[in-house]
Amino acid sequence: MTRVLNLLRLISLVLAMCHIPLVWAASHQASTPQVQAALVSSVSKVAPGEEITLGVHLKIIPHWHMYWQNPGDSGTVTTVDWQFSQPSEVGEILWPIPHRFKMGPIVNYGYEDEVTLPVKVKVAANLKSGETFKTTAIVDWLVCKEECIPQQVTLALSMPVVVGLPTVAPASGAPSHQPQLHQALLQQPQAAPWPVSLQATKTGLSLHVAASDLTSEAIQDVWFYPYQWGKIAQSADQTKTITKAGIQLAFQLGDAPLKPTETLDGVLVVQEKQRSALVARGYQISTPLIAYASATSAASQYTTAQADASSLGFTTALLLALLGGVVLNLMPCVFPVLSIKALSLVSHEHYSQRQILAQGVVYTLGVLASFALLAGLLIALKAGGAEIGWGFQYQSPLFVIAVAYLMFAVGLSLSGVFSIGGSTAGVGSALADKPGYAGSFFTGVLATVVATPCTAPFMAAALGYALTQSSAKLMLVFLSLGLGLALPYLLLTAWPALHRKLPKPGVWMERTKQIFAFPMYLAAVWLVWVLAQQVGANGVAVALGGMVLIAFAAWLYNTTRLISLKNQIAANVGIALVLVTTLVVSYAYLGDATPEAASQSVKASPTQYWEPYTPEKLAILLAEGKPVFLNFTAAWCISCLVNERVALSQPEVTNAFQQKGITYLKGDWTNQDAHITNLLSKFGRSGVPLYVFYPAGNNAKPIELPQILTPSIVLSNIRSSH
Amino acid sequence: MQFKQFIATGLVTAAFAFASIAVFADPLVDQPAPGFTGTAADGSKFNLDTLRGKTVVLEWTNDECPFVKKHYESGNIPQLQKDAAGKGISWVQIISSAPGKQGHVDGATALKLNEERGAKPAYVVLDTDGKIGKLYGAQTTPHIFVIDAKGVLVYKGGIDNIPTAKKEDLAKATNYVRETWAALADGKKVPNPSTKPYGCSIKYQS
Repeated sequence: MTRVLNLLRLISLVLAMCHIPLVWAASHQASTPQVQAALVSSVSKVAPGEEITLGVHLKIIPHWHMYWQNPGDSGTVTTVDWQFSQPSEVGEILWPIPHRFKMGPIVNYGYEDEVTLPVKVKVAANLKSGETFKTTAIVDWLVCKEECIPQQVTLALSMPVVVGLPTVAPASGAPSHQPQLHQALLQQPQAAPWPVSLQATKTGLSLHVAASDLTSEAIQDVWFYPYQWGKIAQSADQTKTITKAGIQLAFQLGDAPLKPTETLDGVLVVQEKQRSALVARGYQISTPLIAYASATSAASQYTTAQADASSLGFTTALLLALLGGVVLNLMPCVFPVLSIKALSLVSHEHYSQRQILAQGVVYTLGVLASFALLAGLLIALKAGGAEIGWGFQYQSPLFVIAVAYLMFAVGLSLSGVFSIGGSTAGVGSALADKPGYAGSFFTGVLATVVATPCTAPFMAAALGYALTQSSAKLMLVFLSLGLGLALPYLLLTAWPALHRKLPKPGVWMERTKQIFAFPMYLAAVWLVWVLAQQVGANGVAVALGGMVLIAFAAWLYNTTRLISLKNQIAANVGIALVLVTTLVVSYAYLGDATPEAASQSVKASPTQYWEPYTPEKLAILLAEGKPVFLNFTAAWCISCLVNERVALSQPEVTNAFQQKGITYLKGDWTNQDAHITNLLSKFGRSGVPLYVFYPAGNNAKPIELPQILTPSIVLSNIRSSH
Repeated sequence: MQFKQFIATGLVTAAFAFASIAVFADPLVDQPAPGFTGTAADGSKFNLDTLRGKTVVLEWTNDECPFVKKHYESGNIPQLQKDAAGKGISWVQIISSAPGKQGHVDGATALKLNEERGAKPAYVVLDTDGKIGKLYGAQTTPHIFVIDAKGVLVYKGGIDNIPTAKKEDLAKATNYVRETWAALADGKKVPNPSTKPYGCSIKYQS
């Protein structure tokens, strides 16, 4: 190659010396059977020191293609070796946006039909008038249909040098009279005008482009072309989700996945239908991976495991919901109820396999019916325009107190204060204990009711997704969640071998049962505390008084169980009266109670390191370009409280907030708050917790933190902004 | 709180278990290489498992591909194959081109081609239906996989680091096969276990 160049230089030298009109060995055009190549220029004459655009125009026969700067799974990038008669600076090839070609399992990035590869050239400054500026381009490419052929051509172009005259094209090199170059420059990717973020998900990477101005109806195709091999799986599908919030693309990991310090670079090509024509536009993307955090702790791995809500595909959401449902079985509020049920299974060993399975099926139906009811309620409320999310039922004090009473009553029953029916082992709860199918059905209902406060963050993603979907999809996701919840018990009833492995009944059952009473009491205490946040101290008095009455009724029930039938009826009437009084008083009080006292939990005191959230305050702080840490919490959200305790209130975190001048805003969602619900939905969430860090500066992208926090996660996120 | 964390850990584990099934269809470096059987060019049966205990190189090839020509005509791959034989390494040449497509040959032709090119792979496997190629996620010719004596995949990717069809580039290139052999011989970690494969696409059936 160098020999050729030297030869060319020698020829040009000889020609220059002899003042012979130029006749070049190489022409500005060359052809192979597949490709016609031509060297094109933005100008017809050059001035010393001028910046011009040169390009190699390639016309390819049908069905063949050439390659982009990253050729994809196979193929080779086209290269151009530029040589000038007078040393001039030449830039990199400005690659027009590529297309993709799929052949079996192999995906390539490149061009078909025709393409022009432009470069910017700063012409030598020492050119003299009357000289000739000669360009030689040795172009190497691989052209493929299915089989590939490497080819090389040498192109040459000479242009007269003009000094002191206005050049034909402006210095910017706008090649107005050169349509091919013009076209190539139009097809350059632009800087992406939207905030872009990249998150690790459980299946790979998720790229979010907040392109809310692109309408989903018009978008025909979206594809991300990475500049580098191995960062994403090039041959895998890129699952796209287009919502009002923008475009979400899910990638599978490639063979050389991103390291925490690396950025994902490439071009996002969006093909839009504009009027009748298809217009493809490319946007440069360069984004670091967020939420990689300190990768060793379980909590931060969790971050990467957690898919962000809106990027979920429908099947993924269904699977996630199913898995989330299974995990719900382990939650402290559900586990006792189910264990009791499992115990009753042991006691019913004399049931036939068919009967046991029938119990399991009925239980499953109970769970599914409850979830269907919840979903139906959500759909109805959504339709009514109410802005609600998961856990919304806990925003009603009446619901809270009812569940508190239920928990307390179940606890009493477990403690042995009262038992319904003669069975010793089958005492679950007032409802769930009913023998037979009704009992199983209501265990299902009960499991659903008690499961709701344990919104595992995992489930939140699926629910957040469901709430943004159509009613039918929402219903399916909820049913999937319910099926997950019912699954372990159903399997137990379906597999005789499994429940034969359950231990034999004995005293241990009674003890286990009694132990399970305590989580129930704790749950009741927590609910009363929630109530205190919602309606204040008087509400607590009502709730606790109600519990005493329930305890009294339970005791009365149990002591009068074995007396004469007449007295028993009298006693039952008394019990009924006590219970009705409890409910009526609770209702009368709480029905009137306005949830105004609620925001108590978020009132700032002078020593506090946070301020209550208001939309105005956030807007002002952001407008001033100040860094803000936003925490949306609710008294009934356990994970919120845990996060505040173990991470956000730790001195290392509060000190860091202070040092960096970060304003910590806390929003309380214990009761309905349309502003917060609105902001939550902007982040694809339907419930709390939500942690968002707005770095300093007016255009900074908000950083969403995981739903399980540690001090190091918080610190690395607020640090990563610098 | 502990319980909560326990749940979270359990969840993570579950999610990862889930993810690992869903994502990785292709074999992974540092994981056992999937076993396969196939028809050898001489008509005999080839079984990867019988090579356990030896280092194995899988080389996908297509004699008409310019990238393959670069490495054969320059003597690069034939030399590697000779060196492999000297070191007790089994070199397995695999042809996954479908009938009617570029590079598809019958057993006799495959052997004749190797003789003409001075190539001496230990085995030539005809993967006409592309099953082995797809099992390994082979994309290009050449595409190289190295399996250690324990049957673990230790290298996958290109034959070297200069992705061109030009013979002149061989002198400057880092040969990943030799690099991997050297690391295995020294009992060291393979320095570049996964690199970009380059070449022609494999001409699969579909």
